Amino acid sequence: MTQENTMIKKLDGKVPTGPVQDRWKTHKFNMKLVNPANKRKYSVLVVGTGLAGASAAASLAELGYNVTTFCIQDSPRRAHSIAAQGGINAAKNYPNDGDSVYRLFYDTVKGGDYRARESNVYRLAEVSSSIIDQCVAQGVPFAREYGGTLSNRSFGGAQVSRTFYARGQTGQQLLLGAYSAMMKEVSKGKIKSYTRREMVELVTVEGKARGIVVRNIVTGEFESYSADAVILATGGYGNVYYLSTNAKASNASAAFRAYKKGAYFANPCYTQIHPTCIPVSGDHQSKLTLMSESLRNDGRVWVPKIKGDKRSPDQIPENERDYYLERIYPSFGNLVPRDVASRNAKLQCDAGFGVSATGMAVYLDFADAIQRKGEDKIRAEYGNLFEMYERITDQNPYKVPMMIYPAIHYTMGGLWVDYNLMSNVPGLFVLGEANFSDHGANRLGASALMQGLADGYFVIPYTIGNYFASEKFAKVETTQTEFATALTTSKNKYAQLLAINGTKTVDEYHRALGHIMWEKVGMGRNEAGLKKAISDIQALRADFWKNVKVSGLSVDVNTELEKAGRVADFLELGELMALDALERKESCGGHFREESQTPENEAMRDDANFCHVAAWEFQGVDAVPTRHIEELTFETVKLTQRSYK
Amino acid sequence: MSSKSKRSALTSIGQKQVMAVTGLLLCGFLVTHMLGNFTMFIGSDSFNKYSHALTSNPLIYLAEVGLAALFISHIAMAFRVVLANKQARPTPYHTYKKSGRGGTFASATMAYSGVIALVFLVFHILGLKFGTQYTAVVGGVEMRDIYKTTVEYFQDLTHVIGYIIAIVALGIHTSHGFWSAFQSLGFNHPKYNPKIEFLSVIFGIFIAVGFSAFPIFCFIQGGH
Amino acid sequence: MSGSNHDTMSLNLKVWRQKNNKDKGSMVDYKLDGVSPDMSFLEMMDTLNTKLVKEQGDTIAFDHDCREGICGMCSMMINGQAHGPEAETTTCQLHMRKFKSGDTIVIEPWRAKAFPVLKDLMVDRSAFDQIIAAGGFVNVNTGNPQDANAILIGQENAELAMDAAACIGCGACVASCKNASAMLFVSAKISQLALLPQGEVESEARTRDMVAKMDELGFGNCTNEAECEAQCPKGIKIENIARMNREWVKGAFAARK
Repeated sequence: MTQENTMIKKLDGKVPTGPVQDRWKTHKFNMKLVNPANKRKYSVLVVGTGLAGASAAASLAELGYNVTTFCIQDSPRRAHSIAAQGGINAAKNYPNDGDSVYRLFYDTVKGGDYRARESNVYRLAEVSSSIIDQCVAQGVPFAREYGGTLSNRSFGGAQVSRTFYARGQTGQQLLLGAYSAMMKEVSKGKIKSYTRREMVELVTVEGKARGIVVRNIVTGEFESYSADAVILATGGYGNVYYLSTNAKASNASAAFRAYKKGAYFANPCYTQIHPTCIPVSGDHQSKLTLMSESLRNDGRVWVPKIKGDKRSPDQIPENERDYYLERIYPSFGNLVPRDVASRNAKLQCDAGFGVSATGMAVYLDFADAIQRKGEDKIRAEYGNLFEMYERITDQNPYKVPMMIYPAIHYTMGGLWVDYNLMSNVPGLFVLGEANFSDHGANRLGASALMQGLADGYFVIPYTIGNYFASEKFAKVETTQTEFATALTTSKNKYAQLLAINGTKTVDEYHRALGHIMWEKVGMGRNEAGLKKAISDIQALRADFWKNVKVSGLSVDVNTELEKAGRVADFLELGELMALDALERKESCGGHFREESQTPENEAMRDDANFCHVAAWEFQGVDAVPTRHIEELTFETVKLTQRSYK
Repeated sequence: MSSKSKRSALTSIGQKQVMAVTGLLLCGFLVTHMLGNFTMFIGSDSFNKYSHALTSNPLIYLAEVGLAALFISHIAMAFRVVLANKQARPTPYHTYKKSGRGGTFASATMAYSGVIALVFLVFHILGLKFGTQYTAVVGGVEMRDIYKTTVEYFQDLTHVIGYIIAIVALGIHTSHGFWSAFQSLGFNHPKYNPKIEFLSVIFGIFIAVGFSAFPIFCFIQGGH
Repeated sequence: MSGSNHDTMSLNLKVWRQKNNKDKGSMVDYKLDGVSPDMSFLEMMDTLNTKLVKEQGDTIAFDHDCREGICGMCSMMINGQAHGPEAETTTCQLHMRKFKSGDTIVIEPWRAKAFPVLKDLMVDRSAFDQIIAAGGFVNVNTGNPQDANAILIGQENAELAMDAAACIGCGACVASCKNASAMLFVSAKISQLALLPQGEVESEARTRDMVAKMDELGFGNCTNEAECEAQCPKGIKIENIARMNREWVKGAFAARK
């Protein structure tokens, strides 16, 4: 597989110039406005109703735009943002511990291993405070101190307490806030909400995004919708790995089909792996459950020193245990960043030191903490997590060490967008996890919620207006040829899937793909493995289109057909991820190339050759996509190498 | 808030609150009725005097109308609630298992115990208020000898048993109804609620035992 | 020593099958072997569906998504109880080790006039969205609200509000109530917002509007048996229904129109 260099474009992120702290202010002033009376003449389709989608839909409807929303679940309130536990960052500096917009900006750029746009990250830090104000005004019940002020905690290794939280259900509460704002506009008739719809096609007219085709999951019918702009807020693509902490319906199809219509897919190889998930218990496993990272504050990670040691943990004496994180990283110990903790767990298991029946787990032991602090204190801090663990595994973590294993959790890559959150397809905006923009190669804890809401509440309301005011919009009807063609393409694709009637279930293919991805495009990647992954995925995809079995009829509810459509996309996206990982011959953040590491086995960036965004342009299913680049410049934060020793 | 939705006192909550208020007032009636009846134990004169004082007061008609209104609205609301609740689940479950802490024999049989109480009420009024008329003279005043009517009425063992069955049903009815009224009116406090729920059961027993004493007393008084 | 148990279970399943909203539907018996006690209830259903695919059958439609107990998408009456026998547990978090090999398990959809069955175990819960749209929000637009700390909220009220806000909107309260009443769901939202100064302002109107919508949609009335509380996977208390009743009284007397 060779890269064609002839057509490489240098992408323009449309980043404003000037001092970083003034760029968003200046840009807001320079953007064109739509007259209040004219806003009702514009319509927007919002696909996905998670934090980014719901907040965008509500804010745009409040301004007067006509909004139509689509979600795959039976209610907009169920999007997977709901599962975020930990919290949301904001540079409020309420605890007076030295936080500032600049510090949040700095931490995020550094945490992302210098692979995000400075301007975007600064804007994110700048609006973070307003997000908290907005959510409180909506009635989000954040944790409070006795005096009635908001509580903060330190999260994910941050050195300041800037994380706001609502028990272990912050994502749920923020989403319900955004959902209620959205339902407020539904009641006013400014939003039309369609549920149980899956986007299957993006429709472009004269080069602009002007509509979508969706499949109604209940009736099996295909429906077309037109508008003046389309917003995708459809989340990430972690389910390429089959087992992930994503919800079952989380999929990449909306974003991927936009890619196939010409939108660039940026940095697909940037995935985040969370170190503290509950291990796989058997082949029946359908998803993985994450436990808050805060567990590592008190738990000690270890494996037996003897390979394949089958003794129960209490039979293994202290001197036969390897507390490997404490051994390798004496200063950070068990609190090393997510990617470091995850990679080391997999290395231990691959070397045969893993525990549990599957050998795919390491211990997270609270015995010392319980002895030091007392069981009551530990119960107060982690009681709900221990309960959840016991519910799933039937083991009592107060008595026996927990077992954990890393799992795919978040994807930093996504559709390429400029500073205005618009993709290279005019009129196609991408928000939240679905875009590639703010987290670089690695996302900090409690920053996903912040970004989703920043995009929806405080960025898109300005930038979409600028787009509307700068362009002319001819009236578009869903009866015109572009829509008819998209409709036919979609119908044919699903009909084709039904017609194969082979022998293997959709899940079998999905599991096989997940296995390839996890082993070769997971935590540690190398050239040979990635090349093998690409050829394996190609073979699997060819087999899928020959041998998959989709039961049921095309009319009404057919979950197998839904899954088949998504897995067909994953089988292409997986290859793209491997290709991106292959071409990025450096390690950065969540992308670890074994060829590029420091003598201490740390990720080593290659800023001379890879300080850029890779944005892929589709050229055909079996053709090699084109790798465009957007140069990243760091004017404010100096490029340095991470070290956690 | 776009508040175009039509409102009336008869929303689901309104209905419950009418039932709660009328129910509590009826509980009050039961208590005063029982206290008045206790004069029976003092003697026939006291009972007749008490009865005469009540019935000779011209305000009695107003009170009776009020009482009838309480009964009728309580029953009318009950019918509406029961009907609406039946309609809310047209297809029943194949298997249905209960585990709610408020679910008791009393709560499950409210409609039945209510109907029993209603039927009883009719017989009770016919048998006693419109029962045989006797006259007695107490302290020089001629008045109805309701004492005699009552004792005579309860010589029939079926009347005694019928009365006790009905009054036990009423006791069961109030053991759920009493605390429910507080809940429906919005009074539920974690500190006081267990006490109200306990009081509710005590109230039910009090009604059942207290009223049952009268027919037994009369039965024995009549020479048995 | 690991949680995995090598003994597998055999189950007799009675599952409600209904082709679509118009179909009459019936209970269908399935026998399923090889069920691991470590499976979640939904993974057991996945296994049954895989078997059905292999046997050319139509898979059983059921709602699910996050599979970690927070999205509120999964439902199912299991042996007559919403989300099955475990307290404060959603179907997706219920594990097969809570059953015994040889058990008969009855699986039915939520039943309520306001939740029509779409297919098999899938029901339409959009009525809940309509109730929220009737008033389950604070009327505030995105913009520049006052600083978050300018609104002080005592910890106790904040915690009570959070208790109510924990509702996942799954509909177990409606399903388990013998009257198919939605009062626990509605009161949880009304309580959350009434307990916070931001929402308290509109509380009376909100209560009137949401209750009116709830009635219009055909949910039943509360008869104070606390079945909803017992089967709520998030442990929402009927105290919230009392609070709603209180807000309704206030609204009924305060109404100017």
